[in-house]
Amino acid sequence: MLEIKNLTVNYGGVVALNQANLEVRAGEIVTLIGANGAGKSTLLRAVSRIVTARGGQLTYDGHDLNRLRPDEVVHMGVAHVPEGRRVLARQTVQDNLALGAYVRSDTRAIAADMQRQFEVFPRLAERRNQLAGLLSGGEQQMLAIARALMSRPKLLLLDEPSLGLAPLIVKDIFRIIGELHRQGVTILLVEQNARLALETADRGYVLEAGEIVLSGPASDLIEDARVQQAYLG
Amino acid sequence: MVAMVLAATLALSLYLPLMSGQLSLATPGFYAIGGYVAAILSTKVIHVTGPYPIPLILGEMILAGAGCGVLAVLIGVPALRLRGVYLALATIAFVEIVRVLSLTVEFTGGAIGIFNIPQPFVTANGIEYLLIALPMLICAALFVYRLERIGVGRALVAIREDELAADAVGINPTRYKVLSFAMGAMLAGAVGALSAHFLNTWNARQGTFDASIAVLAFVLIGGSRSFVGPIVGAMVLTALPEGLRAVAGIGELPVWLATLLRDGRVIIYGLLIVICTLNFPQGLIAPRQPVRKAVKSS
Ligand SMILES: Nc1ncnc2c1ncn2[C@@H]1O[C@H](COP(=O)(O)OP(=O)(O)OP(=O)(O)O)[C@@H](O)[C@H]1O
Ligand SMILES: [Mg+2]
Repeated sequence: MLEIKNLTVNYGGVVALNQANLEVRAGEIVTLIGANGAGKSTLLRAVSRIVTARGGQLTYDGHDLNRLRPDEVVHMGVAHVPEGRRVLARQTVQDNLALGAYVRSDTRAIAADMQRQFEVFPRLAERRNQLAGLLSGGEQQMLAIARALMSRPKLLLLDEPSLGLAPLIVKDIFRIIGELHRQGVTILLVEQNARLALETADRGYVLEAGEIVLSGPASDLIEDARVQQAYLG
Repeated sequence: MVAMVLAATLALSLYLPLMSGQLSLATPGFYAIGGYVAAILSTKVIHVTGPYPIPLILGEMILAGAGCGVLAVLIGVPALRLRGVYLALATIAFVEIVRVLSLTVEFTGGAIGIFNIPQPFVTANGIEYLLIALPMLICAALFVYRLERIGVGRALVAIREDELAADAVGINPTRYKVLSFAMGAMLAGAVGALSAHFLNTWNARQGTFDASIAVLAFVLIGGSRSFVGPIVGAMVLTALPEGLRAVAGIGELPVWLATLLRDGRVIIYGLLIVICTLNFPQGLIAPRQPVRKAVKSS
């Protein structure tokens, strides 16, 4: 579904990604783990075209993503839940969700989908008229995910959904990620919480200083000595 | 009265790009261009005897608006890559360029400007201009009101609040920034065309840095989060100098104070901006907040 070949991204002189290769097949959860500054967010941003790749191929469903604008990528069914949630703080929960459906025009189905999000995330239903900025961190993360789902994505890019959240909330969010997966959404999950990510994912990649150093089935990576030492310690 | 209505419409023209978070001070530049379009057409191209027909004025306004819109798209595509203060500076530069050009080239009448712009009405104070200005303001306000409630308006607000989030939900920020900038320019151009007739003369002093600050003051003092704010701000601040002048004329005041009241419009606006931003950060007209439930402590 998504194929990344020799992806290189620079910020000024800094090489954030160097010749990275990664593949996501339809129906999979693939996780990308790595330390701070390894280049994980950069990879997601390159896919959603928020940053421009220096080199390499980005292919999604046979289309060359490098030729598209960020909004066109969303139209193709790729939704990015950015690091730090980025909900619109001064808008209500409901308005944020409505914005997620921006690329769609099927009003009825949108209303039904919003109802669906409220079923999946009951905490959001209770707070639908509240300003998003007043939500707790966990609720904002749920809103960010729900907003992305409102575009009916085929591929969901999740950037550190566990960031800064209490363990109980993290568990809740990962339960929902698993549920989405069972419903057929393909997911590329970026995480620092390597154990949880590998337990949830089908396959995993390890990124170190801009380079993919390991990859394989998630169950193998959990057992890998290097991964255990560096990330599961 | 007419001046107040025109000022309110100009304030809306600055509010439009602000809807997408773009602080553009280009309004007086487009206003000046719009005025020259009308002034040149009505004095040099079209010759009518008797009162000047109103449909021709409307035609000039449409032409000026369209011209400014096209120009805005040409300028906007590169300029709107700039953000915040840098965009403000670039648009001030644009206003300066328009001013200097109009001083230099010949068909704008150079430093003297263009005189005897034909009048459609016979009375001296021009109160009948309200017949055109007021419907224009109402149309513009209704347009902005509608705009805020449809998808385009939501896209503009999303860009203002968080451009990356807008990207993530599939909005093309560049397109909407240019669109809101061009809509503001069209409005400013149309106001300029009407003002040229109303003022009877048009020259390079119409579009200056002072004017940029004045229009910005309208919006900041009135409130930049709802379209009512700029309208109210513009009306109050346009009426203000007249009021101050009246106060200055009372006599008994020290000379410096009277002079300040009479001529220190920009200084007083500046002070008002500072005072208002400190005391009413949202402007005098703050938007209605959505209903919010009590914040639960978790
Ligand atoms: N906008 C930017 N400008 C310059 N350098 C950047 C920018 N964004 C990221 N970088 C640099 O690129 C490298 C990779 O950053 P990236 O955000 O992709 O890391 P990450 O793996 O997501 O880290 P984290 O886990 O902390 O989110 C880092 O060295 C970072 O400093
Ligand atoms: Mg990151």
